Amino acid sequence: MIGLEIHAQITALNSKLFCSCRGNYRELGPNTNICEICCGLPGSLPVINQKAIEYSAMTSLALGCKVPDKIMFYRKNYFYPDLPKNFQITQYNVYGYSSIGVDGIYELDDAKQIRISRIQLEEDPGRIAYSEGSMNVRNSVLLDYNRAGVALIEIVTEPDFTSPKEVRQFLNKLSLTLEYIGVCDTLLEGSVRCDVNVSMEGGNKVEIKNINSFREVEKAINYEITRQSSLYSRNLKIELETRHWDDRKKITFKSRSKEEEHDYRYFPEPDIPIIVLGNDFVSNLKKRMPELPNQRFECFVSKYKLSEHTSNILINDKKLADFFEATLKVHFSPTEIANFLITDFKSLIEDDSESTDYLKNLKVKPEHIAELVKLIEGNKISRITAKDILVKIFESGMLPSEVMNNTNSYKIADEKTLMDAVQSVFDKEKSAVEDAKTNSEAINFLLGKVMKFTNGRADPKIAMRIINNKLHNPDK
Amino acid sequence: MISKEELEYLAQISKINLNEIESRKFPKQLDKTIEYIDILEELASDDSVILDLQEMKIEELRDDVVRMSGGKQISKNITEDGFLRGPKMK
Amino acid sequence: MSNLHDLLAYEVVGGINGGLFSAEEYVNSILKRIEDVESKLHSFITLDSEGALSAAKKIDRKIKEKEDTGELAGITVGIKDNISTKNIRTTCASKILEDYVPSYDATVIKHLKKNGAIILGKLNLDEFGMGSTTEYSRYQPTHNPWNLDYVPGGSSGGSGAAVAARECTVSLGSDTGGSIRCPASFCSVVGLKPTYGRVSRYGLISYANSLEQIGPICRSVRDLVMMVNIISGKDEMDNTSIPSSPITLNNKLGKLNVAIIKELITGSDHEVSRTIYSASEKFKEIGCTCDEISIKNLHYALPSYYTLASAEASSNLARYDNIRYGFDLPVEEYKWDTYFSKVRENFGEEVKRRILIGSYVLSSGYYSKYYLKARRLRSLLRLELLTLFKKYDLLIGPTMPIPPFKFGEKIDDPIKMYLVDINTVIANLAGIPAISLPVGFSNGLPIGLQIMAAPFEEQKLIDASYDLENSINIQRKTNAI
Repeated sequence: MIGLEIHAQITALNSKLFCSCRGNYRELGPNTNICEICCGLPGSLPVINQKAIEYSAMTSLALGCKVPDKIMFYRKNYFYPDLPKNFQITQYNVYGYSSIGVDGIYELDDAKQIRISRIQLEEDPGRIAYSEGSMNVRNSVLLDYNRAGVALIEIVTEPDFTSPKEVRQFLNKLSLTLEYIGVCDTLLEGSVRCDVNVSMEGGNKVEIKNINSFREVEKAINYEITRQSSLYSRNLKIELETRHWDDRKKITFKSRSKEEEHDYRYFPEPDIPIIVLGNDFVSNLKKRMPELPNQRFECFVSKYKLSEHTSNILINDKKLADFFEATLKVHFSPTEIANFLITDFKSLIEDDSESTDYLKNLKVKPEHIAELVKLIEGNKISRITAKDILVKIFESGMLPSEVMNNTNSYKIADEKTLMDAVQSVFDKEKSAVEDAKTNSEAINFLLGKVMKFTNGRADPKIAMRIINNKLHNPDK
Repeated sequence: MISKEELEYLAQISKINLNEIESRKFPKQLDKTIEYIDILEELASDDSVILDLQEMKIEELRDDVVRMSGGKQISKNITEDGFLRGPKMK
Repeated sequence: MSNLHDLLAYEVVGGINGGLFSAEEYVNSILKRIEDVESKLHSFITLDSEGALSAAKKIDRKIKEKEDTGELAGITVGIKDNISTKNIRTTCASKILEDYVPSYDATVIKHLKKNGAIILGKLNLDEFGMGSTTEYSRYQPTHNPWNLDYVPGGSSGGSGAAVAARECTVSLGSDTGGSIRCPASFCSVVGLKPTYGRVSRYGLISYANSLEQIGPICRSVRDLVMMVNIISGKDEMDNTSIPSSPITLNNKLGKLNVAIIKELITGSDHEVSRTIYSASEKFKEIGCTCDEISIKNLHYALPSYYTLASAEASSNLARYDNIRYGFDLPVEEYKWDTYFSKVRENFGEEVKRRILIGSYVLSSGYYSKYYLKARRLRSLLRLELLTLFKKYDLLIGPTMPIPPFKFGEKIDDPIKMYLVDINTVIANLAGIPAISLPVGFSNGLPIGLQIMAAPFEEQKLIDASYDLENSINIQRKTNAI
C-alpha cells in the first residue's frame, strides 16, 4: 500500500502567502527577498493572499474535492532553523472546520480511483545550505529565508496505490492538471516535493521524505519495496520509521530527523480570522477555471472530431495543445493540423520539450503552420515538401510562401513537365519498367524515382496516372 | 501531579533550559497552576467545535501584488554573501 | 513656564499652536522632569531625548512656516517597550531582546508620528507583558509615583507611572488580561482597553494575540479621546482589525442603565468596595439606574484566561531563538537544538512558567481538557455579557480587588499574583472595551473604577467617564516625588 503527500508551490502567485515579498525567489541573492513578516520579526502579523485561496480551491475542485464554505488556519508548532517563527501556519482537519479541500477522488487511466484525503494551504520554510568543507568539520550552517512564506498546496492521498507505476501515472496526470490550472509549474526547480509512505501487507508504515522531483518518486518506491520485501522474506521486522531518499546513492536511509518529537500542539491561528468563501464562491470559480485535461480531451474528440489517439498526444503536452488551438483560429482544419503537429512538427522540437519556455521562443508560429496546411490541402505542395519547408521556417522564421518562392517548391502539376520527368526515369530504370508491368511494387518504385527526380515536387496522383498510362501505352 | 519526566519533556519541546533553582521550584509551582486551571473540567464537554471566532470575507483579503520591503530585516550574523549563519545541524 | 510638564495633552497642543510656548521648550521641560524623578521611578528602559528634541524642533519650524502640524502636535508619548519602534531599541523588558532594534514602526506609531506626536522613549513592563507589577521586568521594577515602596501595577507599569509622574504627556500600553487598566488604577490615571480589533496590533510584540489590544493611558478623559481616535482604525497589515467610528467628547450623559457586578465587589478589599459604591452613587445622582447583577461563569474566567494566554504565549515566543535577532551569543559552539535551549534559558522565570504551561495545555493529551474547554468558556462568557448588554449600557466594578501592594508581596506565589487580574480578564476574554478611572484612595494608595460596555460602544464609556471625572473631586497630583 502506497500513499503520497505532495507539496506543490503555487508558482502562479506574484507574492508570498502571508506577505508581499516576491513568490519566485529563484536566482535572488540570499536574504534579499524578505520582510518583517516572512522573517517572523517580533510584532509582525500574517496578511493572507486572496489569490492563493483561489488557486488552492481550483486545485481542490480539479482533484474532485469538496471545498467548504469557510476555511481556517492552524499553527503547527516545532523548532527548526529554517522556520522563522518556529511554527508553520497551515491547516488541520481534526477539530472541525476543514482545509481548502477534502474527500476527493482522482481517476487513473484504468479507471482505478485514488482517494484524496485532503488538500491544504500552508507556508514554505526557508532553506538551510551548508557552508564549504566536509560535513564533519562544519561548525555552522548558512540560512536563507528568501523562500520562507511562499505558498504551498499540500495534497494528501489515502494509501490506495498498489504499484510504483500507478504512482508515476498519478504524478504525471497531477503535473498536467496543475499545469492546466496554471497553479504550479512543476518543471521549476524545487516547485514540487513528494513524501511517500510504503507499507507491505500487515507491515509497518515507512515514510520516505526528501524526494525532490516526481521523477525520483518511482525510483524511491521501487527501492523501498525491494528493501521491505527482503526484510519480510527473512522474517525481519519492518520498523515504523521515517527514512530519507538519497538521490545520489539512490537509496533510502533511516533518518534521525526533526520529526522525532511529533507533538505539534496544533491550535487555531489567532491572527487569521475564519475566511468565509461564500455561497457562490465555488460556482464562480468553476466558471473561471481553465479547462482541465479530460475536459479538453472531450472537446477535441467531440468538437474537433480528432481521434482519441491524436487527442491524447495533444492533451498530454499542454503547450502543443495550445499551439494547436491557436492555429485553428487562423485556419480551421483540425484533423490536418493535428496530424501535422503530432508528426513532423513534434519531431522537430522534441529536444526542447524539457525547458519551461519551449514553444515560446520558437520561430515557427501558428500562422506558419496554418499556411502550410492550407497549401497541402490546396494541393500546392506535397507532404514531403512541407516537411522541408518546416525545417526552413524553424531556422529562419520566414513565412511558407517566402520559403517556397526562394526554393521553388511548388508542386508540379503541369502534365508536360511531369511527362518529361517520367520519361527520364523510364529511360534510366529499364528493368524496373519491365517489372512494373506485372508487379505493383515496382510501380511504386518508379513513382518514388519520379518524386526524387522532381525534388519531391511532383504531384503524386498525376505522376502515377502518367506512369500507368505509359506502362500500358509504351509508345505514348 | 507533574512529574520530573513530564517537566523535562515540556522543557525539551519548548526548547528551554531550566537552571537549578527553577528545576527545584517549578514542579510545585506548575502543579499549583495546573490545579488551578483544573476547574475547567467542570465545564461540559463539547470539544468538537470551537465557537465564536472572528470571521472575514474572502473579498477583503490582500491582493496578490509584490511590494519589496526596503529595510534591513536581518543584520545579525550575516556572511559576506548575504547568508545568515546559524548553529550546525549535527 | 516652569510646570509645562503638568499640562494635559490638549493644553499642550493648544499652547504650542497658540504660540504660548514652543515644542522645544515643552520637551525640555519634560526631559528636566525625567531627570528629576526617573532615578526614583525607573519608568523608562530607553529614553530618546535626541530624537524627541529633533522632532520638537521640526514642529516649531512647521508652525513658523504655517504648515499643518497635526492634531497631537508637540505632545510627548511614552511607548510600552513591547511596541515596535523603528531604530529605537525594543526589548519587551527581556534579556533575550537586549540588542534588538526594529527595522519598522508599529502601525500605531505611524499614526502618532503622522499627527505630530513626539515619541519620547520606551517604557518598562513585566517581561513580554506577563505580570501585574513590573517585578518581572528583567531590567528593574518601576515604582509607584504615589508611594515609592509600592508597585505601579502591570504589565504596563512604566506607562502608568510615567504618565502619573508627568514624565510624558500620555503613554501607550497594551492590555492582555488587564495590563493597561491595572497600572491605570494603581497609578490613579485613566486607561482604556479598546474593543478587540479597534486598534491595529501590527507591531505589538505578541504575548496572547487573541486577547490583547494597544490602548492609551492619560491623565484626563479628554486626552484619552484624542489618543484613541488617532490610533484606531482598520489596518490592512492586521487581518483581525475592524473599522470603527471616532469617539466624541461633548455627549451629554443620558439616562443609562448601569449594573454593578456583584462578584467583583464581594471579592474586593473593604476600602475598595466602599469607594466603588460611592462612585456608583454618582451614577444614580444623574438619573442612571444602578442594579446589582451576577455573572454566572465568572469563576471560570481566570483559569480560562491563563490557559489561553499561556497557550498562545508558548507559540508566540517560540521565535526567540537568537538566530535572526536578539543578543550576543556566538553560534559556533553549539548544535542547533542545544543553542536554542541555551538561548531561551535567558527568559525570566515567569515567562518560562507560562511557556511550559502553554506547551502543556496544548499537548495532545490535554488539548481537549484545557484549551478547548477554555475556548468554550470564552464563548459562553461573551454570550452572557452580550445578553447583559441588551439590558444594561454599562457594567461597573472595581478595576483591582485590592489597592496597590508592596514589592515582594506576591512574587513568590504565582497563583496569588494571577488572582490580582481577576476583575480585568473578563473584558479580554469577551473582546469588549473597558476603562479604568481614578475614583479615590485608600491610605494614599489609588483605587480605580472599571467600566465595561458592549463591543464598539466606547462612546458610552467615554460619556460616563467624562461625567464622573468632572463630578468626582480627588487629588490629581502625587506629592511623593
